[in-house]
Amino acid sequence: MALIEVRNLTKRWRADRLALDDVSFDLRQGEILGLLGHNGAGKSTILGITLGMVRPDGGQVVIGGHSVQDDRARALGQIGAIYEAAHFYDYLTGWQNLRVLCSLSGWWDEAEAKRVLKLVNLEQRAGHKTKTYSHGMRQRLALAQALLPRPKCLLLDEPTDGLDPEGIREFRELVLKLRAEFGMTILLNSHLLAEVEQMCDRCVILKQGKKMYEGIVPSQQKKQTVFQLQTRDATKAREVIRTAGATQDPTTNLIELPSHIVGHELLQQLVQAGVRVDAWQPHKPTLEEFYLGLTGA
Amino acid sequence: MILFFHQWQGELLKLFARRRTYIGFGAFLGLEIVLLIVFRLQGVERIFERLISRQGQAFGEYYSAITLAQMILGFSVLLLGAIYLALVAGDIVAKEGEDGHYRLLLVRPVTRLRLLFIKYLTSTCYTFVLIQFIAWTAFLLGLAIKGWGGGFFVMIPEAGILEFYQWAEGIERYALASCFLAVSMTTVSSVAFFLSCFPIKPAAATIGALSYILVDLILRNTGFMDNYDHFLLTKHMSAWGRIYAEHIPWPVLVRSFTIIAAANASLFILGTAVFESRDLKS
Repeated sequence: MALIEVRNLTKRWRADRLALDDVSFDLRQGEILGLLGHNGAGKSTILGITLGMVRPDGGQVVIGGHSVQDDRARALGQIGAIYEAAHFYDYLTGWQNLRVLCSLSGWWDEAEAKRVLKLVNLEQRAGHKTKTYSHGMRQRLALAQALLPRPKCLLLDEPTDGLDPEGIREFRELVLKLRAEFGMTILLNSHLLAEVEQMCDRCVILKQGKKMYEGIVPSQQKKQTVFQLQTRDATKAREVIRTAGATQDPTTNLIELPSHIVGHELLQQLVQAGVRVDAWQPHKPTLEEFYLGLTGA
Repeated sequence: MILFFHQWQGELLKLFARRRTYIGFGAFLGLEIVLLIVFRLQGVERIFERLISRQGQAFGEYYSAITLAQMILGFSVLLLGAIYLALVAGDIVAKEGEDGHYRLLLVRPVTRLRLLFIKYLTSTCYTFVLIQFIAWTAFLLGLAIKGWGGGFFVMIPEAGILEFYQWAEGIERYALASCFLAVSMTTVSSVAFFLSCFPIKPAAATIGALSYILVDLILRNTGFMDNYDHFLLTKHMSAWGRIYAEHIPWPVLVRSFTIIAAANASLFILGTAVFESRDLKS
């Protein structure tokens, strides 16, 4: 079931600059969906429209049955978000910042705020002014504000931007924990392929405002359809592969199987045809290979 | 309603936790002390002595704490007050945009209209607090020098007011006038607030508002606009001084303050429309 439905979004920043071109996708309950694309591909614009900060020229976003464009307050009642870089009120403490932000949601519960601050490991620094916080601490406070009051879904816009490797790992573990423990649905906007690969179930890839792909993160696909063959009988092997209906990339020796045949069956046919097989191994394309192939970068 | 008060409380916390909010209070306290010193100079006292004596009243009685307070208020508030009110109101929407705070505020389930209304209310609240602070610190400083009691002498040449009141009535009139003055000054805040809703720097909103008020004031004082001065906001803003007339001209006050209220409401609505139409993305 889709928690967020993005429907036919179109946005033009200027007459000559199309930011989004009829983009649609769903964010299903309980999944982590990665929104991937180069800088300027339209990722933040989608998030901006989803949060009602940006007005689309066409299309709409529906959250839990409520259109953001028609009933923003009710639609956003179900989500928490980090949108672009989080800039807190430097002259207020972390605690005061949370209080001010939560008041806009019409909610405040000290015990819950303390629990969330503990979760993001900021309970010791909550009483300090945010101008004394490091970038990593600000990001954790940004996550804390997004988690108050308990949203069903998190929208994270490049949340690890500017974090050091430890900070990135800490943040990743925290987000995965949120999904595992609270069943949270998460939309992660990132241009870091490794981040999406490690965290997301599915991804949407954008290029110049157009959706190029929506589906399972390639490296997580359960069905193995690509294999790598090493053989000295290349000509004979090519014939068997062609007969089986599979395709072979001559430069990488990667064989992509059609849907009616599985890996060990083709291997058996190769051996039976007398092809001397030196190596036969499944090949999982990385997200990077997939992304670069798709976007032609 | 409770939700609204929580949200307003948050906005007030943001406003009064900032140091620059207090610049106006500090500056006015300094100005009041300077003006008190000036009004205590022999040469200056002699001018007022002549003015009061010419009306057949005793200078010693009517050059009192409340007279000094009213003079300070009259001399300082329109220009210097306008600067600090425009500074805060010009900041209230534009600075949040410049600092990127809307990325945190507007991901919350709150409408832009409500957010702006809370901000407008906060800016209006600041106007009242600042004007009352000026009025009553001026009075307290006057008390420190002249002590309790005496009469109240008030002179506003442009409104043709030259009146003498007893102490109790003087305080009542002064308190009432300070409230009307605060309402008048919300016009400055409203102009700054309106400009602040555009995607501009906070300083531009402040300077824009002050420029508008100054141009309005200059036009009124040149005399060219005498037949059209009802179109000038500063004309209606100055109506507060009529509280000191022997018989308060309520119809004049009601007319001017209705126009001020209408102007403020229009500026708020237009500002909100501008802000609603904006895409908030870096």
